[in-house]
Amino acid sequence: MSKSKMSKLNLGLAAAAIALSLSSNAFAFDAAALKDAPKVGGVGMKITDAAIKPWNISYFYDGTNLPDGKGTVSAGEKIYNKDCAMCHGDFGEGAHGYPKMVGDPVDQFEASAKAGVDAVGNRGINNTWGNAPTLMDMIHRHMPFYAPGTLTVDESYSATCYVLNLANIVDENFVCDKESLPKIVMPGAKLYTTNLGSDTHNIRCMKDCYKGTPAVVEKAASIGDVSVGKVEKRDSH
Amino acid sequence: MAAGGAAIAATNAANAEDLKTWTEPLKDEPTRHMLGRGVVAVPYGLPSKYESGVVRRNVGWLTADTIASISFTPWQDLHGIITPNGLHFERYHAGAVDVDPSKHHLVIHGMVKQPMIFTVEDLKRLPSHTAIHFLECPANGAMEWRGVQMDSMQFTHGMMSCSEWTGVKLTTLMEMVGVDPKATWFYGEGTDGSALQRSVPMEGAKDQHGNPIPEAYTSHYRDAMVCYAMNGEALRPENGYPIRLFIPGFEANMSTKYLRRLMFVDKPLVTYQETRHYIEVLPNGEIRQYNLVNEANSVINYPCPDYKLKGKGTYEIRGIAWSGYGKIKHVDVSIDGGKNWTQANLVEPVLNKCLTKFTLPFEWDGEERLIMSRATDETGFVQPTLKQLREVRGYNSIYHKNSIQVWKIEKTGEVKNVQIENV
Repeated sequence: MSKSKMSKLNLGLAAAAIALSLSSNAFAFDAAALKDAPKVGGVGMKITDAAIKPWNISYFYDGTNLPDGKGTVSAGEKIYNKDCAMCHGDFGEGAHGYPKMVGDPVDQFEASAKAGVDAVGNRGINNTWGNAPTLMDMIHRHMPFYAPGTLTVDESYSATCYVLNLANIVDENFVCDKESLPKIVMPGAKLYTTNLGSDTHNIRCMKDCYKGTPAVVEKAASIGDVSVGKVEKRDSH
Repeated sequence: MAAGGAAIAATNAANAEDLKTWTEPLKDEPTRHMLGRGVVAVPYGLPSKYESGVVRRNVGWLTADTIASISFTPWQDLHGIITPNGLHFERYHAGAVDVDPSKHHLVIHGMVKQPMIFTVEDLKRLPSHTAIHFLECPANGAMEWRGVQMDSMQFTHGMMSCSEWTGVKLTTLMEMVGVDPKATWFYGEGTDGSALQRSVPMEGAKDQHGNPIPEAYTSHYRDAMVCYAMNGEALRPENGYPIRLFIPGFEANMSTKYLRRLMFVDKPLVTYQETRHYIEVLPNGEIRQYNLVNEANSVINYPCPDYKLKGKGTYEIRGIAWSGYGKIKHVDVSIDGGKNWTQANLVEPVLNKCLTKFTLPFEWDGEERLIMSRATDETGFVQPTLKQLREVRGYNSIYHKNSIQVWKIEKTGEVKNVQIENV
């Protein structure tokens, strides 16, 4: 096991279209949940869809709600070099501790995970991002980091297109829009799975719970920097 | 107090006759012969200057800047289950912002009969709900996944706080807008730079591949609220002022701060928070999504690595336990590395999805000890060992590290953060 310091909490970017439609809802939220909700009136206002539209900026994994407009790799390169490269690196390799855009190729990433070596620090849109439309969503709402939400729709499509090209997911002539993004199959899409609930199963043993000696591991000097602020040692709580 | 709690007694505890004797005549402290400060000298009260070490701290190397970063609550210095508001951990994706409540609105739309918009004042008119719950970042303990790393409990368990929350229940708002029974997910969105959004499942929710979300996760929304107050005062800007979504039991990232929009839908968004960020890379190479609940967890906050024991004799083991599935049922404590366990006292109140304090008298014999606590919640879920957790999650998981925490008491009284790898 590598005892390298844990990689940084990533602000991530990245994306893969899975052409799966949701099956219709055989279930629904339990209307009984609202049974005890108090009936109230005369508070708040009705609002029209047209009035909501400027805030309705969520672009779903399958492309639902993606806006009209388009972007190109070449236009995206200019935006990336101006607004993105200082943090994500000229080639998407990351800079100054900010996240990579391009990590290990997905097969190598998967192999690292299986070998228990550091896969966390090698995340990129070419391994840990399931769907391209949500890459557009993230860039349009949250980037560039120092001026979030300031890119036009076309600029966001272009930045999306450029980073997809940087990660070798689309070619340089690819045009990104609401039709094309959902069709992209992201390299990491095949690795995604959904949690099925508790996966540890400890029992409440009280006496003689194991034989032998516990293998106690103390802090290795090589792990991380612990000069994280002065915490005085005291006698009592 | 709940059942349990016989003292963990080691042999050779100190006796009264071993104590030294004080003979010097007592002297007054300087404060005995002076006047103190008048009222409102400090209009908003602050802790004693002698408590200046009790502060939020961050870990410089963890993130590239402090704008998209996290700070830690100093649980080693706290005595109850409530986090003072100024010590609540912070987690920003684009920094804390000052939102003017007089200009702020909440929109609720999507699969609803009547889309509505509310002012903050509107929300405060509605029937209110108050409850005490913990709020925990799923990355709490993350720095310990690959090995022992942090020398303070603040950094092993400080991405977690517990407050009394007041607001409007989500179900009240759902009733007002008439949510379509076919809606199976909703999400909140904030008005900060990240405009953070997370998909929250309701009954019948399926992932993007059509796989059902576990039932254990699809009723948490019923406890959810749109909050405007914590611990009786307005939310702090650090925690989402003027309003935030709060979903008890779920990883804190889902409780969107600076809330401006709720949308009811029939599928998840799969935002970058859900596809890139709050995911688990498992030892079989799979990338697991939607591990949403902070499962049963506990930690001893005294003694812990922030203390050095003064000598053998009486101490009280104190700690906190919590579960995102419900109430804490038992907490057991071991001082021999987990071979034998004693049930600790649970200090009232014991509440749903809330920190529960536990105590256990401890006679330290001056010998090396491995102390640890293990929580069991009302669903019967037992907090795992680190070995058990690593067997299923490997070393690349980052999130939801709820394994049993071991502290080693040295003969010198030093307390160290250690891990037991084999059992």
